[in-house]
Amino acid sequence: MGPETFETLVATHHGEIHRYLRRLTARASEADDLSQETFLRAYRAFRELPDDANVRAWLFTIATNLFRNHVRSEKRRSTFHAAVLAARSETAGHDPEGETVYRETRTVIEEVVATLPLKQRTAFVLRKIHELDYETIARTLDCSADSARAHVFQALRKIRHTLNGHDMAGMMAVRAAGRPGAGAPASEASEREVTP
Amino acid sequence: MNARHSGCVAIEADLVAAATGEAAPEATRRVEEHVEHCGPCREDFGRYRAIEGLVGRLRATVSDDTEARERLIARLGDLRRRRLRYGVFPSPLGPLLIGRTDDGVSLVQYLGPEGDVRRSLLGRRPELDAVEDSLAVEAFYRELLEYLEGRRSHLEWPLDLRLARSEFHRGVLRATAAIPYGAVCSYAGIASEIGKPTASRAVAQALRWNPLPIVVPCHRVVGSSGALVGYAGDKVGLKRRLLALEGVMRAEGARVPRATMYVSLPREQCYCLPTCTWIPTADDPHRFFFFGSRERAEAAGLTPCGDCRPDLHPLASS
Repeated sequence: MGPETFETLVATHHGEIHRYLRRLTARASEADDLSQETFLRAYRAFRELPDDANVRAWLFTIATNLFRNHVRSEKRRSTFHAAVLAARSETAGHDPEGETVYRETRTVIEEVVATLPLKQRTAFVLRKIHELDYETIARTLDCSADSARAHVFQALRKIRHTLNGHDMAGMMAVRAAGRPGAGAPASEASEREVTP
Repeated sequence: MNARHSGCVAIEADLVAAATGEAAPEATRRVEEHVEHCGPCREDFGRYRAIEGLVGRLRATVSDDTEARERLIARLGDLRRRRLRYGVFPSPLGPLLIGRTDDGVSLVQYLGPEGDVRRSLLGRRPELDAVEDSLAVEAFYRELLEYLEGRRSHLEWPLDLRLARSEFHRGVLRATAAIPYGAVCSYAGIASEIGKPTASRAVAQALRWNPLPIVVPCHRVVGSSGALVGYAGDKVGLKRRLLALEGVMRAEGARVPRATMYVSLPREQCYCLPTCTWIPTADDPHRFFFFGSRERAEAAGLTPCGDCRPDLHPLASS
C-alpha cells in the first residue's frame, strides 16, 4: 500500500466524511479540524489495515469516535465558558466567535436532529444521510445492530413528534421554493450553535 | 400515542420501517392492513413518508470541503516527507538500524545483540511515524558495510538532522561531519569551530546524542590529550575499532598518539609535521585535524607543507 493508495482514499472519501462531520458539528471549523484529524489518524493506521477492510466504514468509525471525544471535551470546556459566552453574546448582540447563525435557512429536520442525543443523532445521520447498513452503524457506535436500529427509530419518532402540527407537504414546497439555486447547499448555510 | 390502541403501539416500529422503506415484505403487509382501518396511524404513516422525503433532500446536499481537503493534502505531504523508513541489518558491529526520510539519512543506531527495534529510538518515540522498509535504505547499508570492511572511505549521503535535539546539536553535528576520514579532532576543536570555544562539554553531550553515528563521525572526536573519552554511551570499544579501521590508532590503544600525527588546520590546503612553525601552539591550539598517516592526509585533498616537508621527513610511526 503506497502513498498513492492513500491519496485515492482521500479523493474518494474526504467529501463524504467532511459532510458527515459538518452535519454533526456546530461550526464549519470544527468539521474541518475533525475531518483533518480523521484522515491523519487513518494515514497512521493505514498500513496495518487489512486489504479486504471496509475503508468507508472504518473512516466513519474514526470520525464518529473523534466527534464523540470532541463533544465530551467541548462539554467540559463549556462548563467553564458558558457564563462568559452568554454574557458576551448578550452585550455584543451576535455570536461571540463571529459565527453567524443562519437559523432561518436550516430545515426543520436539521433543527430537530441537532437536538437529538448523541447516539440517536449519529445513528440517524449514518443511516438516513449516508445510508450505512445497521451492522456497520453498530460497529461504528460500538453497539448491537438492534440498538442501532432502535436509535434511528427513536430519532425518527422524535422528529415526527416535533413535526406534528406542521404542514409537511406545504413545508416541502416552501423549502423548495425558498432555495432558488443549488449553488448554496443547505449544509453550508446551516451554521449551528453548539448542541449538547 | 399513549391513548392509542395497544395494536398501534405494537406495530409502530414496523410502521416507521415501512414508511421509510426499510421493512420486510411481511411487515409492510401488516402495516398496510393496520393503517387501512386506523386513521391516526395512517396520518403518522404519511408523516413518516414526508420525513423520508425531507431527509432525501438533505442527502442530496453537499458541503464544500475544498479548503479542508487542500489543508489535509498539505499536511499529508509534510508527514510523508517526515516518515522514517528503516531497516535492521547485520554488521561487524552488531545489528544496525538505518533510517531515512525523503530528505536524507536521519538515523543510524547500534541495536543490542538481539536487534530489538522496540529498544531503539523508534520504540521510545512512537510519534516519529516509522515504517519498516529495508529496500528504502538498503543502498546506504551496502555502502556502510563497505566502509566497515575498509573498502570505502567516504559516505556522501544527504543527511537529515531533524532527530538532533537542538539547533546547537545540529551545528556540532555539521562541524563533526567535516572531519576527514582518517583524522581526529578534539571536542574543544569542534567547540571552537562552531564559535563557542568554551562549550567542549556541551559538544560532548551533543555527540553523545548523535542520531547518525559513523555517518556523522563522532568517533573522530577525541579528548585534547588524545584520550578516547566516550562513545555512544558505553561503547568506547567501538570507537577504538572505527579509529583503527581508519588507520588513526592501533585497535588495542587507549589514546590517539597525537604527538606523532600529521596536523592540518581546517580550511588549509596543506598538512604539516607537528613541529612545523606554521602550527600555532599558544593561540587557539585546538582547531586541528590530526592524521594518522600521510596517505590519509593526502586522500583528504591536502598537500605536504613546503616548510616542514612531511613528505621528505615522514614521522617514524607512518
